[in-house]
Amino acid sequence: MKHDHAGCRKVSRRTFLADTGMGFTGLALSAMLHRDGTAPAFAKASAGERDGAEGWRAPDGRPHFKPKAKTVIWFFMVGGTSHMESFDPKPELTRYAGKTIGDSPYKATLESPHLKKNVREVIAGLHKVHPTIYPLQTGFKKYGQSGLDVSDWWPHVGSCADDLAVVRSFWTTDNNHGAQLQFHTGRHALEGALPTIGSWVHYGLGSLNENLPQFVVLGTPLADCCGGVNGHTGNYLGPEHSGVRMNVDPKNPLPFAAPGGGKTREDQAREFDLLRRLNRLTEIEYPDDAALRARIKSYELAFRMQTAVPELFTFESEDEETRKLYGLDQDVTRSFGQTCLGARRMVERGVRFIQVFHGSNGGAGAWDAHGNLKAGHTKLCAEVDKPIAGLLKDLKRRGLLDETLVVWGTEFGRTPGAQGSDGRDHHPFGFCGWLAGGGVKGGVVHGATDELGFHAVENRHYITDLHATVLHQLGLDARKLEVPGRKRLEVDFGKPITEILA
Amino acid sequence: MRAWGMAGLAMLLGGLVRAQDDGPKIDFGRDVRPILRDHCLSCHSAAKKKGQLRLDARSAAFKGGITGKAIVPGKGRESLLYKLLVDADEEARMPQKAPRLPAEKIELLRRWIDQGAAWPDSEAGEDAVAPHWSTIKPAPPTPPPGPHPVDAFLSVAQQARGLTPRPEASKPALLRRVYVDLIGLPPTREEVAAFVADPSPGAYEKVVDRLLADPRHGERWGRHFMDLWRYSDWYGYQAEVRNSQPHIWRWRDWIVESLNADKPYDRMILEMLAADEIAPEDPQTLRATGFLVRNWCKFSRNVWLQETVEHTAKAFLATTMNCARCHDHFFDPISHEEYYAFRAFFEPHDVRTDHLEGGAFDVTKVGLARAYDAKPDAPTHRFERGDDRSPDTSKTIAPAVPRSLGGASLRIEPVALPPSVVAPEKRDFVRALAVAAEDKAVADALQALGKGEAVGGLDFAVATARRDSVLAVLEAERLEGKKDEAWKKAAAVALLAQRKLALLDAARAKFVAKQAFDKPDKKADAKKKLDDAEKALAKAETDYQAPTGTGYAPRKMETYPATSSGRRLALARWIASTENPLTARVLVNHVWLRHFGAPLVVTTFDFGHNGRKPTHPELLDWLASEFMHDGWSLRKLHRLLVTSAAYRRDSAADPGGLAKDPENHFLWRMNVRRMESEAVRDAVLHLSGALDPSRGGPELDQNSALTTFRRSLYYRHAPEKEVEFLRLFDAANVNECYQRSESIIPQQALALANSVLVATQARSLAARLDKEAPSDDAFIDVAFLAVLGRSASEAERKECGGFLRQGPRAREGLVHVLFNHNDFVTIR
Repeated sequence: MKHDHAGCRKVSRRTFLADTGMGFTGLALSAMLHRDGTAPAFAKASAGERDGAEGWRAPDGRPHFKPKAKTVIWFFMVGGTSHMESFDPKPELTRYAGKTIGDSPYKATLESPHLKKNVREVIAGLHKVHPTIYPLQTGFKKYGQSGLDVSDWWPHVGSCADDLAVVRSFWTTDNNHGAQLQFHTGRHALEGALPTIGSWVHYGLGSLNENLPQFVVLGTPLADCCGGVNGHTGNYLGPEHSGVRMNVDPKNPLPFAAPGGGKTREDQAREFDLLRRLNRLTEIEYPDDAALRARIKSYELAFRMQTAVPELFTFESEDEETRKLYGLDQDVTRSFGQTCLGARRMVERGVRFIQVFHGSNGGAGAWDAHGNLKAGHTKLCAEVDKPIAGLLKDLKRRGLLDETLVVWGTEFGRTPGAQGSDGRDHHPFGFCGWLAGGGVKGGVVHGATDELGFHAVENRHYITDLHATVLHQLGLDARKLEVPGRKRLEVDFGKPITEILA
Repeated sequence: MRAWGMAGLAMLLGGLVRAQDDGPKIDFGRDVRPILRDHCLSCHSAAKKKGQLRLDARSAAFKGGITGKAIVPGKGRESLLYKLLVDADEEARMPQKAPRLPAEKIELLRRWIDQGAAWPDSEAGEDAVAPHWSTIKPAPPTPPPGPHPVDAFLSVAQQARGLTPRPEASKPALLRRVYVDLIGLPPTREEVAAFVADPSPGAYEKVVDRLLADPRHGERWGRHFMDLWRYSDWYGYQAEVRNSQPHIWRWRDWIVESLNADKPYDRMILEMLAADEIAPEDPQTLRATGFLVRNWCKFSRNVWLQETVEHTAKAFLATTMNCARCHDHFFDPISHEEYYAFRAFFEPHDVRTDHLEGGAFDVTKVGLARAYDAKPDAPTHRFERGDDRSPDTSKTIAPAVPRSLGGASLRIEPVALPPSVVAPEKRDFVRALAVAAEDKAVADALQALGKGEAVGGLDFAVATARRDSVLAVLEAERLEGKKDEAWKKAAAVALLAQRKLALLDAARAKFVAKQAFDKPDKKADAKKKLDDAEKALAKAETDYQAPTGTGYAPRKMETYPATSSGRRLALARWIASTENPLTARVLVNHVWLRHFGAPLVVTTFDFGHNGRKPTHPELLDWLASEFMHDGWSLRKLHRLLVTSAAYRRDSAADPGGLAKDPENHFLWRMNVRRMESEAVRDAVLHLSGALDPSRGGPELDQNSALTTFRRSLYYRHAPEKEVEFLRLFDAANVNECYQRSESIIPQQALALANSVLVATQARSLAARLDKEAPSDDAFIDVAFLAVLGRSASEAERKECGGFLRQGPRAREGLVHVLFNHNDFVTIR
């Protein structure tokens, strides 16, 4: 709702010049989408004086340095998954269950400076610490050679332990669900919408497949309360860098997927050719119309998507064993299993950034376990655990995991203290996520929260460190992607979590 | 001013008493403020002011709270601030419900006071809680000199930034802009030609006036207001209505008609929130309460009222009341309790479906879904953490608007309702409908007779008896008040008719039971059923023979409370008052957004502390004042805005403007926009000549939108029941849409390029143009004019010429291409 219309229109003069330069020397769109390593270096834009950014140039679609990964699958659990009951088990919670934090040996937790500094509230103190320690609602065990501790709600992902790099020391600053937007833009929701991680990747890198959108959104996006479409849009980078929503539904992947009204493909090809020429002529007249540029691209893409997309979601060619691996044979896992299988097929076909939402419910998100945490998380984990593990295993056996960076995250963790009788509140002070494949070490744990899982205390990472890690593995330097006139702060760039890189 | 006095005094005292503490100098910003912030301000700041004490601003802090001065400079141990921190009584000790402060912090505070409690100016904070801009009534500023006030206001900001506004747009571009904006349809070739050919100075204004008077204007802007007011057709599980209501389309028609009649906006608010209290007997006006009816929710009264509260506050007041449902509002001074006080306005209301004259007796077929007060005294309680399972029943909350919004005292007066509203089925036309329904049943039964069904004869007899009994009961009911001889007679007739009906019913039942019993493969209980039916028949016969009397069974019908609480009317009057600082501003901002493509206040649904400030506060205030002064006339507001030079400007960018104001905050050019989803579809149909101009009526099947040609606003629009084509072009989010988004995605390209709709319309338009254009060149000309509203350039002509030489269906192809052209969906 808070769609920033101006944002869609913002174009850097440079971007335009670079685009038209390419557009008229090559073949329209195809020339603007470069394959890795094959994109022609083009001359440093020369006429950009007016934006005062001498030396800046639009991304040429090539990585800035040798990438470790080509593709990203970004899982986001909407609502806030409990970190202590997933990948950061805290037995002390069970040990001191029912006691207050102040009465436990860990009362120093409440004196931590992070308690105030970590959170950005408009009026201080509105969110209280939940003092009564709430026991772990599930067990956990060690998995794999690495002996990684994973909760019993995640047995299948646990079985992939030796491929996971778990980061247990993320923190964010919004203690409400604006953190969902923040997780994708890096900024507190109060500061408005900004380009998301997927759109930065899309902006920075050329296409691996000219028949498919390079930034795809699967699952239901964030609700309007918590970022809405801004959780996957390009904002000032322009609408062409926004994620494209698709249904993982072999019967209806996209509406209007084939020409109607008796047109042949040849008719259509001729029409699209004329259309492109006419739109290009209009572009000469309106060189600063970003929407026009985006629309030209959208038509080029649409033309090719007509065949590429239905094929993407046709699972007939997948054998029985693979279907089972993703849980397509069971009701509870089928839906998310199809999403994960669709994601793998996108990886094979070179989609750059696949953003997968789970738990969107039109509000704060299904993972938001203020009450009834045990029943809720049991159900939700059962929906995603096997499909995610299936995807990891499938990518690995196909040799794709090395170049595919899989990221699993959520907007914040849950409080060590009980909320009501059986829930946990929002917890931005410390929470976990994991990465796999794409040049990341396997079977490692990085960073730590304290004994109660309250504060991230070792190797703390603000969420943009995750963005930086993703960009780094793709061979991108966020500073080189900056757009003139769009000041980014140090905190926006983050730092790659080098300790987990192979 | 007083703040300075207090501060001066404090510093003076500080100087006098400094001797009391010779330790290291305590620095307020470094030492004291963090303690106050961490331990005190969550209760003692502007937002809560517990005990009337604020410690977030100097003057307020020195003033103290209810129990006295918190800080007595120079006398730490005598200051309440210190005393309460060290109080042995845990009940009294500060901070409440939190651990005692560490001794060193308490000592630090004491020494700071002993040293004179120096609180520097730089940290003084805001003295009084400065009223938020949107809560101050707009004082009409005088526009700077200039031919058009809107431009005069804009030019101040433009000049300050050295921005040179763009010249006026070309005539074709301007005409297309204002057509789509005001009636949602682009001009035809003929209309473009006529406008271009009219050199008179008032040519544009003539067009504006004509379009504003065009009934299609109501359809265009009606859809905008349907966005704002969350229009939704009913939805649910299959045929089961779970949300909103059937017949809600009548509210849509009310919106369109109201706009076309230029009904004042304040009046529209009154009607939507309280038509049942101001025009209880007028079905046309009652349609307006669709605004409330839309929130009906089968499974949760709480969700129903939540949405009513949230969106009444957002739509009219740009206030995020919803944020205070579970706790005090984080950003605005709206308490948890005030949320429930606002809810209390709606607590008594419910939804019912009335009969309509000329309609049907069965209200599921024809009816009017409208709001009314079902329980005028329904209590409202605050829900702990917003959870309706934990109401705080210790206190009943009275209806009130938040103090910070200026809701001092609303006069709430109950409204007495006429009998026709209390017992609406006693109205003559409803009685007539009841009879008509029985007549039809008799006619149907008669027709069934011909088909020779075994029960047929009895069915006809029963239908006839039912009609007779209904007629007799209606007659008795009509005479009921008098209880005279005539009534006695009528009542006896009614009783007899009812007994006869019962007898025939029983006879029919026996007949059916006998038939079932006679079947060779009869069911086990057939005998028992037959016995029961025979017994029932015997009883009916006995009853029929019994002495007559006046004890007929009256009609079963709903009656409703004779008094409405008047709460919603009071609320509506407060919202629609010229004294309300928000209502006109919020509306003006919405209208501005839709004319200019960007709002003056970016957060269209939040004018509170968490929202953005206006880019042009004086302009907004002037427009709001002017709007109210003009009798809340939307038409005058539209005219004012679209006749400004700002509206008429060219939309092309120039380097100077781009460098200084790339986002065009200061309107040095017109914003380029994409047509809304409805306009895209309607424009295709309109230009091909296929658009069906009929207005109003029940919602149309959303799956028929590609093959039927009514305007888009008439197709079903509900969650999961949307026209796919429209959804792809960012149709309104049914649950909340204060501003449309404007995405550009390949699926839109597919919709325009591949849909049957565009293909068939391109074909028919091409066929029409074909007749006028012997040569390809002429065809290119007319096609560009017809679809894009402008002529083709030389370069375009060349490209199209090449294309037309490619085949027999190329002309149709060209029109299809133009419907897909960027500048078809784009408003420049």
